[in-house]
Amino acid sequence: MAKGIYVIAEQRDGALRKVSFELASAARKLADQTGDEVSAILLGSGVESMAAELGKFGVDKVFVGDNAALEPYVTEAHAQVVAKILKDNDAAIALFGASVQGKDLSARVAAKLAGGLATDCTDVKIDGGKLVAVRPMYAGKCFADVVFNTTPAMASLRPNVFPAVENAKAAAVTKVDVAVDAQKSKILEVQKDTSGKVDLTEANIIVSGGRGMKGPDEYKILEELADVLKGTVGASRAAVDAGWRPQKDQVGQTGKVVSPNLYIACGISGAIQHLAGMSSSKCIVAINKDAEAPIFAKADFGVVDDLFKVVPELTAACKKLLA
Amino acid sequence: MEHNIPPIAAGGNEGREVFWNAHSFEPLLFLFTAISMAIFAYGVYKRWQLWKAMGKDEIRWDLLPERLKSLFMNGFLQLKTWKDAYPGLMHGLIFFGFFVLIFGAAFDAGEFHITEPLFGWAFLRGQFYLNFSFLMDLFGLFVLIGVLMAAYRRYIQKPDRLGYKGTSDNTTDDAIALLLIGGIIVTGFAIEALRIHATLVEGAGVDKVTPDWEYYSFIGWFLAKAFNGMDIEAAKTWHSISWWTHTFIALGFIAYIPYSRLLHIITTPANHFMMSLKPAGYVEPIRDIENQESFGVSKLEEYTWKQIFDSDACTKCGRCQDGCPAYLTGKHLSPKKLVQDIKTFWLEQAPLAATKAVVPAAEGEEAAAPAEAAEGAAPEKTLFDAVDLHAVWDCTNCMYCMENCSSSIEHIQKMIDIRRYKVLTEADFAPELQLTYRNMENNSNPWGIGAHLRGDWAKEMGVKTLAEDPNVEYMFYVGCSGSFDDRGKKISVAFAKILQAAGVSFGILGTEESCCGDSAMRGGNDYLFQAQAQANIEIMNGYGVKKVIAICPHGYNCIKKDYPNFGGNYEVYHHTEIIADLIAKGKIKFTQPQSGTFTYHDSCFLGRYNHVYDQPRSILNAIPGTNVVEMERNFSKSFCCGAGGARMWMEEHGDRINNARTDQAIAVNASTVAVGCPFCLTMISDGIKDRQKIDSMVALDIAEIVCKAMGLEEVKEPVDVCAV
Amino acid sequence: MNIIACVKQVPDTEAQIKVKADGSGIDDSQIKWVMNPYDEFGVEEALKLKEKNGGDVTIISVGPARAMETIRTALAMGAEKGIHICDPALDNADAFVTASALAAAIKGLPYDVIFCGQRAIDDDSGQVGAMLAELLGIPQLTIVTKLDYAGNAVKVIRPIEGAQLNIETALPCVVTAQKGLNEPRYASLPGIMKAKKKPVDVKNAAALGVATDVKAKVAKLAPPPARAAGKIICGDDAAQKAAELARCLREEAKAI
Repeated sequence: MAKGIYVIAEQRDGALRKVSFELASAARKLADQTGDEVSAILLGSGVESMAAELGKFGVDKVFVGDNAALEPYVTEAHAQVVAKILKDNDAAIALFGASVQGKDLSARVAAKLAGGLATDCTDVKIDGGKLVAVRPMYAGKCFADVVFNTTPAMASLRPNVFPAVENAKAAAVTKVDVAVDAQKSKILEVQKDTSGKVDLTEANIIVSGGRGMKGPDEYKILEELADVLKGTVGASRAAVDAGWRPQKDQVGQTGKVVSPNLYIACGISGAIQHLAGMSSSKCIVAINKDAEAPIFAKADFGVVDDLFKVVPELTAACKKLLA
Repeated sequence: MEHNIPPIAAGGNEGREVFWNAHSFEPLLFLFTAISMAIFAYGVYKRWQLWKAMGKDEIRWDLLPERLKSLFMNGFLQLKTWKDAYPGLMHGLIFFGFFVLIFGAAFDAGEFHITEPLFGWAFLRGQFYLNFSFLMDLFGLFVLIGVLMAAYRRYIQKPDRLGYKGTSDNTTDDAIALLLIGGIIVTGFAIEALRIHATLVEGAGVDKVTPDWEYYSFIGWFLAKAFNGMDIEAAKTWHSISWWTHTFIALGFIAYIPYSRLLHIITTPANHFMMSLKPAGYVEPIRDIENQESFGVSKLEEYTWKQIFDSDACTKCGRCQDGCPAYLTGKHLSPKKLVQDIKTFWLEQAPLAATKAVVPAAEGEEAAAPAEAAEGAAPEKTLFDAVDLHAVWDCTNCMYCMENCSSSIEHIQKMIDIRRYKVLTEADFAPELQLTYRNMENNSNPWGIGAHLRGDWAKEMGVKTLAEDPNVEYMFYVGCSGSFDDRGKKISVAFAKILQAAGVSFGILGTEESCCGDSAMRGGNDYLFQAQAQANIEIMNGYGVKKVIAICPHGYNCIKKDYPNFGGNYEVYHHTEIIADLIAKGKIKFTQPQSGTFTYHDSCFLGRYNHVYDQPRSILNAIPGTNVVEMERNFSKSFCCGAGGARMWMEEHGDRINNARTDQAIAVNASTVAVGCPFCLTMISDGIKDRQKIDSMVALDIAEIVCKAMGLEEVKEPVDVCAV
Repeated sequence: MNIIACVKQVPDTEAQIKVKADGSGIDDSQIKWVMNPYDEFGVEEALKLKEKNGGDVTIISVGPARAMETIRTALAMGAEKGIHICDPALDNADAFVTASALAAAIKGLPYDVIFCGQRAIDDDSGQVGAMLAELLGIPQLTIVTKLDYAGNAVKVIRPIEGAQLNIETALPCVVTAQKGLNEPRYASLPGIMKAKKKPVDVKNAAALGVATDVKAKVAKLAPPPARAAGKIICGDDAAQKAAELARCLREEAKAI
């Protein structure tokens, strides 16, 4: 009988990533229902010191695989070790982060174990002692309850969805002796984004301005908001046509089609050409003076007011919240 | 027949001696005339070979009565040239002047060489001769005035349309043509003046008395005074010189015709005769598309001979360029340049094609040889070596060029053919248009909004689909804008309310409706267009639809003119036609006067394409309270909004056409720009925003205005958003 | 080069997804089926690679009979041949079964690069590419936005949160395509016509020796919780509204 809930912790540059704590907390919650232990798998080079931190979020046991070959992350090496630990310990449940790394790793591990995996879950629960993973499908047009016919039941959890809750546990370290095969992939370079801005199509948060911005210089207030939210600035066709923003910033039918977690439309009326490029955004905010602007029909949150007043205040409010 | 010499009126001496002072020249004249005619005939023959050298077959000599009518109306009466006052008058003076002069010359020659020697019948005598003289002088003067107007226009006034983006089109050929025509007239008058002077001197001795009847040749008589004092011998010498000059210029003129712009004397009327007799702006589909191997046109010879011949009928007059929305906003396209580029290319390629065509014939059946023979030679030139592809994509299909072309040239099909090649054969075209086509493929609308949402606008209105009730008089074809665009949906709602209020029996197709396909067809994707058209036709025929109303002129035009090619034959109406009719029948009652200054913007696909100009205006005038004004460019010379020809879905570079049109509405202080097309509505609304006029100006569809005036519009209480 | 591109037929992004009353799946009667857009990036990259370096492109798809249209679409774009793994037993295949079927079909073929979409827009799983790589025992490069071919290796760019990785991998390998990798071509009409005559092998699970028992199973589908009507943020002034908006984004939408 498989037992134990495993979370695959994610670290980069000597620090655990936030999703690792979210995983630990989610696992803790499940474990409290099943009576299982929560174990974390922590791989990399010189990572043992991070184990204690995982303990704060409810991890009983930490498998530490310390090896220069595991730093930085390389899919095949990590998959090999993770799969071995899960298999050797007959894990019941394994949780990954649905980050780029976690998605890359989880699928490879699942294949190694010939097991089932649910990606990008927004909820996990126990039903009849077994894991049920809830995940969006069809771009969120429906939600699936996924059950597993094999162990470990594997799921990757969407970052930012599960709260990280402190719940101190021992986090006893078990060192894993890892032998890693020679790798066929080599990381040549890690280019850190120094601007802190990602491309529109990959951005999680987009602050977009339209005709209501009135001119190119006024975009400064959007940039400030985007900086605070770690987002990227976009523009409507009207603004690009007017020469206020470069073509690469254009969101819409004839520009880029984006689906960030948050889309803040400032002074954009919501012409259909624009909506076609951003309506799949998960959360849409409209800030516009004109209460009749069609964008409000698509917005989750609307502010009917002068954007030149609202945006700077919003920047300040977000700065406070995120501090 | 009794004697033919007419009674002598005044001095008993009216009439003039043909070949006066020039008897000895007569044989020489025949010789020179023969040479001139031979050069002319050779030129026409060579041109004929070039006309035949390239292009696919096409029949343009059916329906003879209509063609003769076009030849008479456009070729002879020149109805198309008169649409522009100055150039119309200028050309009319030259054309009709010359026409009369040629008849005069023919009379002269006919009498001298035929009727008089053979039958002793001289009719240019007496009062008839005097009137004849008067007319000849008068029309000669007309020609001269026309030539001077032309010279003034071309060399002093220099309107933009006689060039391209500030570079003049003028060639020496233009100057030679004008000089030849002017030279004929001037020397003709000189001959006349010198003859009058000399005959007066001869006849009246030293104290010359001018006979009354010479006043009839009023120019010659007037000019004769200039020679006062010249002795008879000098006059005769000068007369001979003038006579020869006149003769050489006239014969030179004839010989010059096939080698110069003067050829339009032949090609332009021929083009009027061969003009398209299809509905205005009709585009020939790619027939049997599933079994074709190449699509559209990339090489000149893939055009029909007529499409190439068009370019030889072009006079570079620039009427097309004058109202081309792309040209006027600084795009690459000038319809004139396009046609001229084709002509230049044809004149380069046709002689090669003509010689190549001879080779396989000589080798009999071995027709495959030329391709190999050409190996190693310079790569074969394509149309794109001559035609600017940007220009081809600039076109909004507004049809200003075709409607206003004085040579009946068909520009649009030429560009669509090229687009077809780029889209269908090469799949090399604007990425934003690719997205539009994918959207149309997947969801049958250019925005790619879920097809299942098509009928949603009508759900709350009690509008039935044909699936629910097929027994209706009209099928309301809503179209993509009316179904998916939030702004366009307001038009659908307004029009449906009007129909409901007027008790009209109608239904919609709902989710069974497809995109009309106009943008696909005009953007070169005939394959996609045909798929959309066939889907609609299948559904419409299935319901036995007979009458269709469209609120979008693109669907209207397309269903009316293009669907019959695929088995869809319906009576098609635009909603303004229906509304105007309902007003005329008293079924629409206006209760809410609409104040403000209204101007109507003609949609190209309604106006130029379908000549629906009056109904929208009559509706506006019927609404109480409206002050309707016209923009400077209107009716057949209206200015496009920029959205036709698939341009709605493409990025526009440089000055925007919709802004240019909006400026024209601003110029007449309109408070409402009334439109009859959802594309125009989008473009003009954008223009109003761009020009920052949202506080003083609004664009509305005619149906929305009518709906308001009928008191059918829901009055929205201002909502306190925070109270909800 | 021998290049393979895996494609999946999925409902158009705009299609109305109606969950069946019993939650067993979606009602697909009204759906317009298209090639998964991420797979399209893969096909395009495969074609570009072929056009530059020679070779041919094989399209493989697991799916019901209608998936043939999607294979033809890829052939119309310029691929040479197709393999259609079509078996009712695979209708509810999960990622592992799908990857196993693809791996079984690919094992006998020569290949240098295998392209997949980084995820399919129907199940949004994003697993098949990595699983296929594991089952074939070759490296994987997932979510790739740029690819350069260099002899026996490829150099790619993989964006990750806050950085991008430049990675070199020896061939053969699996690459999963992310938006930005390229702009897929619009199939020409002659291409569409020719595609109708290109060879497509149809295979079933038994022929490939694939076990069809799924590892992860969708027990129930449900429509998303009804989307609350957009909320208009109230407040006396801009500052209040902004503060309330920030709170909503943080606490209700969890977007920041």
